[in-house]
Amino acid sequence: MKKILFLFLAGSFFLSSCEKDWLDVQPQTILTDEQTWNDPKIVVTVLANFYSRIPAHYSLTAGWQAMSEYDEAMWSGFSNDEWRNNIPTYGYERWRLWDYGFIRDIQVAIDGIDGSATLTTDQKTQFLAELRFLRAFDYFEMVKRMGGVPLVSTQLKYDFSGDPSYLQLPRSKESEAYDFIAKEVDSIKNDIGNTGSNTRANKYTALALKCRAMLYAGSLAKYNSQMSTPITLPGGEVGIPASMATGYYTAALEAAQEIITTGGYSLYNTNPNKGENFYEALAKKAGNNEVIWAQDFAQGNLHFFTYDNIARSLREDNLGSSAIAPSLNLVEDFEYLDGSNGALKTRTPDGSDYIYYDNASDIFANKDARLYGTIIYPGTSFRNQMVSIQAGVKVWNSATSSYQTIESDQFGSIYGGTSYPNGDRGLLTGADGPHRTQQDISNTGFYLRKYIDADPGASKRTQLSDMWWVRFRLGEIYLNAAEAAFELGNTQTALQYINLVRERAGFPANSLKALTMEALQHERRVELAFEDHRVWDLKRWRIADKVWNGQNNGYSVVYALYPYRVVRPGDSRNNKYVFEKIIAPRFRSPHNFRLGNYYSSIDQGVLNNNPKIVRNPFH
Amino acid sequence: MKIYFTQGTTSCPKKSISPIALKVIGLIFFSVLSSFVIAQNTPITGRVSIRDSALANVTIQVKNTNTYTVTDENGRFTINAPANATLVFSSVGFVTQEVAINNQTSLNIQLVSSNQQLNDVIVVGYGTQRRRNVTGAVSALTGGDVQRTPAVSTSQALSGKVQGITTRAGDARPGAGIGLQIRNLGTPLYVIDGIPSDEGLFNQLGINDIENISILKDAAAAIYGLRASNGVVLVTTVKGRANQRSSINISGYYGLQNFTRYPQPADAYQYLRGRTEAVQNTNTVTGNQDLLPITKEELNKWQLGSDSGYQSYDYLKIIMRPNVPQSFINASASGGSDKITYFLSGSRLDQEALIKDFRFNRTNIQSNIEAKVTNRLKVGTQISGRIEDRHQTGVPGTDDYFNPFLSILSMWPIESPYANNNPNYINGNVHNINVNPATYDENVTGYTDDIWSAIRANVTADYDFGGGLTARGVYSTTYTARRYDCFEYTYNGYTYNPATDMYSVSGGNQNPYRQKTRANIKEQVAQLQLNYTKRFGSHTINALAGYERSNREYTELNMNSNPPNNYIPIMRFQELTGTSDIWDKWAREGYIARVNYNYKEKYLLEALGRYDGSFIFPKGQRFGFFPGISAGWRISEESFLKDKISWLNDLKIRASYGQTGQDQFTNNGDWITGDPFAIVAGATTGAGSAVFNGALISGTAPRGLPVTNLTWITNSTTNIGIDITLFKNKLAGSFDVFERKRTGIPAGRYDVLIPSEVGYGLPAENLNSDLNRGIEGILTYRDKAGSVDYSIGVNATLARFRDGEHYKPRFGSSWDQYRYSIEDRWGYASWGYHVVGRFESMEDVAAYTVNNDGQNNRTQLPGDFKYEDVNGDKVIDGLDERPIGYQQGATPYMSFGINGSASYKGFTLQVDFAGASMQSFQRDWELRIPFQNNGNSPANILEDRWHRADPFDPNSAWIAGKYPAVRYGSNPNFRFSDFWLTNITYLRLKNLTLGYNLPGKVVKKLGINALRVYVNGTNLFSFDNMKEYQIDPEISSTNGFSYPQQRLYNFGFNLTL
Repeated sequence: MKKILFLFLAGSFFLSSCEKDWLDVQPQTILTDEQTWNDPKIVVTVLANFYSRIPAHYSLTAGWQAMSEYDEAMWSGFSNDEWRNNIPTYGYERWRLWDYGFIRDIQVAIDGIDGSATLTTDQKTQFLAELRFLRAFDYFEMVKRMGGVPLVSTQLKYDFSGDPSYLQLPRSKESEAYDFIAKEVDSIKNDIGNTGSNTRANKYTALALKCRAMLYAGSLAKYNSQMSTPITLPGGEVGIPASMATGYYTAALEAAQEIITTGGYSLYNTNPNKGENFYEALAKKAGNNEVIWAQDFAQGNLHFFTYDNIARSLREDNLGSSAIAPSLNLVEDFEYLDGSNGALKTRTPDGSDYIYYDNASDIFANKDARLYGTIIYPGTSFRNQMVSIQAGVKVWNSATSSYQTIESDQFGSIYGGTSYPNGDRGLLTGADGPHRTQQDISNTGFYLRKYIDADPGASKRTQLSDMWWVRFRLGEIYLNAAEAAFELGNTQTALQYINLVRERAGFPANSLKALTMEALQHERRVELAFEDHRVWDLKRWRIADKVWNGQNNGYSVVYALYPYRVVRPGDSRNNKYVFEKIIAPRFRSPHNFRLGNYYSSIDQGVLNNNPKIVRNPFH
Repeated sequence: MKIYFTQGTTSCPKKSISPIALKVIGLIFFSVLSSFVIAQNTPITGRVSIRDSALANVTIQVKNTNTYTVTDENGRFTINAPANATLVFSSVGFVTQEVAINNQTSLNIQLVSSNQQLNDVIVVGYGTQRRRNVTGAVSALTGGDVQRTPAVSTSQALSGKVQGITTRAGDARPGAGIGLQIRNLGTPLYVIDGIPSDEGLFNQLGINDIENISILKDAAAAIYGLRASNGVVLVTTVKGRANQRSSINISGYYGLQNFTRYPQPADAYQYLRGRTEAVQNTNTVTGNQDLLPITKEELNKWQLGSDSGYQSYDYLKIIMRPNVPQSFINASASGGSDKITYFLSGSRLDQEALIKDFRFNRTNIQSNIEAKVTNRLKVGTQISGRIEDRHQTGVPGTDDYFNPFLSILSMWPIESPYANNNPNYINGNVHNINVNPATYDENVTGYTDDIWSAIRANVTADYDFGGGLTARGVYSTTYTARRYDCFEYTYNGYTYNPATDMYSVSGGNQNPYRQKTRANIKEQVAQLQLNYTKRFGSHTINALAGYERSNREYTELNMNSNPPNNYIPIMRFQELTGTSDIWDKWAREGYIARVNYNYKEKYLLEALGRYDGSFIFPKGQRFGFFPGISAGWRISEESFLKDKISWLNDLKIRASYGQTGQDQFTNNGDWITGDPFAIVAGATTGAGSAVFNGALISGTAPRGLPVTNLTWITNSTTNIGIDITLFKNKLAGSFDVFERKRTGIPAGRYDVLIPSEVGYGLPAENLNSDLNRGIEGILTYRDKAGSVDYSIGVNATLARFRDGEHYKPRFGSSWDQYRYSIEDRWGYASWGYHVVGRFESMEDVAAYTVNNDGQNNRTQLPGDFKYEDVNGDKVIDGLDERPIGYQQGATPYMSFGINGSASYKGFTLQVDFAGASMQSFQRDWELRIPFQNNGNSPANILEDRWHRADPFDPNSAWIAGKYPAVRYGSNPNFRFSDFWLTNITYLRLKNLTLGYNLPGKVVKKLGINALRVYVNGTNLFSFDNMKEYQIDPEISSTNGFSYPQQRLYNFGFNLTL
């Protein structure tokens, strides 16, 4: 009997250990609703999650590869991404965004904070204003891609009754969505706080959103109506009446002017070297009074953009680089400082011979300083290190009176040695290429400078870059103001703003005396390159289908510039530089933007789930 | 060490073993030895044999006494016993026989091999059964079957051995297990000495510590409840046997490994010629006027390879070393008195990889001790421990093995690993220094040490209440610790300047990295069971009731840093670049009941049930009940058959049906709710982050709707089988047909259309189903021809996944249904294009009316694939895809094995084949795309290809080849077609062993008990259809970058003291 007792005790010992209920497991990573919404510090962490979810077509951390898919650049990185150079037509699902998971989470936070027992009224007011700004920004990202979308501003809760039809909301008119954004900004701008912050949204962030949104709405109203067949839907989900343009342009101009006059921002203009200054205008964080709102990064949350895109010879460790290779098309769009067309001069006026340059950089002399600030081109340096861009040599053959072109698969190779015993032992192919077929080296002859981090170690995998992504800056606000004023017929005001921007780029004061829409468009292209404006600008001006028309010319094709060193011993032209403009060898398909691309298609699942959602045109 | 052994009747083992063993044994048994009773009776002599061969080391015990002896090398014995006593003859691997003396003084005993015999006791869930009474589908293996192959992991040793097991060695790197499934159901549950365990614990068992393995495949597995839905692999470790003389066994082997197969990279000439062709062929398509990368004269020099500077480098040879060693040593001691039994074992396995500085070793200990405290109470412990150490060079990237494989096909054969071929200077002037194998040296790039140590202690108590009622309590705790240390150094690359004879730094890696991971797993299992066995005349009842609970908690701490130098492994705060802290836990419990009934061992019945609970479901919905039933009919016991048909020894028909619940869903262990804490609302921390005013804030995200409506997935397993033994037990067979149906697989109820604008989807519900169906069988024949004993067994399994019913499937069109319906279809077929021909010429391209590339054939060249235009719309697109193969990377649908052995005098020959069919492999990336990632390519792609007669003359004639014309960029040949997919069938010689048992006289002279030596070869050859691609038929990585199985030549011994 004692033994049975012993066994019984032993059994109960290990079965009745301390847990009350063996199957109750408390997670160690989850907060309760009470904990979350009653502590302002935790609410800020919820905001941190929301800021990390703000959508972008591309940014330094999300989808930056798309920079290579238009006319600003091409793909020169990993060969498995070669398809980016071979997009015969943009898909209708491109740019699609139906971001209601984010909207729902914002609504959950709004309701949680509303119902909080311990947050103060001031705290609630500020948090709610910031949340409504984030919601408005998300709606702007949706409307610019999809046209009008359902405007949800409460939590939609399904009651599990089996009939969710009461939750079906129709798409708003395109104009209503823009109006909603304007109204939200107006009602929260004085509550949002965060004064002086350029990483959390404040009054001027909200106004910048309104300014951009109103400009988009204005140009959509104006230019869509000017199309031979305007893109519209009967319910107005797509297509804003031309009559609304003036109102939107006025709102855009007013928002811009409020930022300009009361925001205390100024164009970054501290470095006397105008090219470096323009680079710093985006790259410098400290003392940068131009940036209104940026997505910032810091130790613990760094990114690979510099690692992936730094010029080949500046790599610090050894995988990938040089993915985004700027196009010759963009380079040539930067004007000469005398205001003349920026096309590069590679051949004599009669086309009979090359133009011989003493230095590789001479061909770019006297260009808009923003070229230097945006692009690394032959003969320039980065991180105080010269970038060596030379495709090969042109060897003069006196027998045939022509040049033989020689290029190498080895970067930084010498024209000499076993392969070329008669070579002059000068540079054959530069350490930075360009190269026609290899990956991770520029295919165009250019590298990106804008947004590439100049800090040592920023391209190392173990260190990475904290370069921020600028969402709003004063330079854009000036151009927005200029465009809105111009559209409103106020050319003098427009000239005043655009010339301020040009002056910072190295042009003389009042360099533009007259203004055209083309000049404004051109100015935005060079000022805002690689800042995710190009697609949206071409769309709202309704010229994307003409600029990217799928033809084998113009902006539909990416061009490259290949520099060569001349080998012609005994001749004055020996060791000078000549340039070839070619279609970038890795580029395969001209870009083709179709009318159906002006609005993205709506996912079939979304249409199935809500019969009130109407399709966009052409889909 | 000198060994003495006293032969003959003895009341207590008198021997001098090693001092250490003596101490251990002495300590344990000191108190017990005195209990032996001395008996004095008439001497009986005799001989024990199997057929004509003498059997040594057979234990002979006078029944119900402590008197015993063992046979000598001639099978002879002498024992003193009363004339009316019964002798019990036992030996591992043989059926225990009882013989009444009946006043005889001399006995000749024939033992029967126990393998596959009806009397075999096999381990089933929570107990054992005699094979003849088993009603479920159970395969059994002995330790000897497992130890036949010098396998590193236990799963490797099971391949091809029994029916129902399917395996695929996708990556056979040192220390790796292989993909093992039972009937292709998914990852099975491993139960070691009664304790549910994970795959790692199973694979890293000490292979000599395994007594037997049972595979439970149908309702028989259901007794293990919620984790047993994919079948159960039951392992029992060796125990000492009561009244067994103490023995010490030492065994070991040493072998040399080589790859079975790996793709040969192109040489410099092939490579440069390919580059030239690629530009030429790309230009033809795009119209670009690119320069060719090399001149004809230069290319000729590379072809000759005799001029200085024109030598080709073969990176397969440079990276992979031949004849690398693998060795194993094990020592064990076992024995027992009537009160205490013990088995102690220690082993060490060392395996080098073919890549320098990559190796694996493992140390195992096992200690199984059981003591009878009283006549009713027995207590025991099973303690097992292991340390696994994987040492590699610290190659940048997550998997140290990846880059060396990448290098073989990535390094250009024109690049040298060392500058000026001087091994003191790494060549920095290569196209990607991270794949320069000169850096794969632990002194250059650093090291990775991944050390797992685990200790498991089981404590058991068995109490016999008498009258057939027994109770058993088990508590087991396992503590596993992982210590991962990675230190990647910085290093310089160099270029050589022949003019100055100087080396200058160029390139290298300035990206140091340090990672420390410390992970712990704490597992607990507790079981309490009551057993009742009773025989009422012809009726036998066996009942079991039990309770089991288990949990597992995982914690992991990670730190990464940027080390300031290559010397100091200690991490300091300023150098840290990241940390992570991970926690995970689950808990489950279950109530178990089972009743077995048989009538005269003729009609057999088993009923069982489990009431299982899991933490994953909300309170109140946690438990589910899962019953099972099985029955057997031993027709051969019926009077109309028994002893009527001389050649029929046994015939049994069995059928079973059982259910199990499943709270986890896929092979990766995904929870049915998608998230282990899906029942909890609130907000998730650590979700995204943002920098606010210079400060990094870690984010918190609101959670979705709590999942409260999901419950168990139910598995219903049906099995019908037949067991048959014929011709005096010479031929034995077993055949089964089976089906597992899973119902309640989570899916959305999508006719309730929640508008997407709500922002969340409806939680999934238990709506869908799937099936696994198949057949399996095994046939074994044993006989004797002259003095040769031989046996041959064949087994095969065909098991295939089938999608079942889905919740209201919808299709946009009949084609949509054809292509995407998975309604009641064999699952996971590979869809792709069917190649029906090749373009023969540019004229053929121009005249071809089907738009083959989607671009009006402007990208096509001679030699390109013509795809079948299935729908006849003159355009090749997704609509023309059709099933071209089976699931990729999965275990094969069909597996088979052939196992044979023959012995003659002291020699034994063992041969094991394993094979499979109905599995698919897709060649992709490096194996499909020339110069993938700017690298080299396999030689066959650049050699046996369509090309122009003269690569420098675009107008020269096209010459046909197997592969398409080499060019840059994607092209329509890369579409997924049956050209790139191979449906593999193979049969490989897994194992060939020739062993020799030293004769008794020799052994005796050496002062030992027995010695066996053997030579062995693993993976000596295979018949398969992957030879031409130089790919091992079992790997699954589509670029071929995985460690293929090794061919191992081995020498080993087995010594008994």
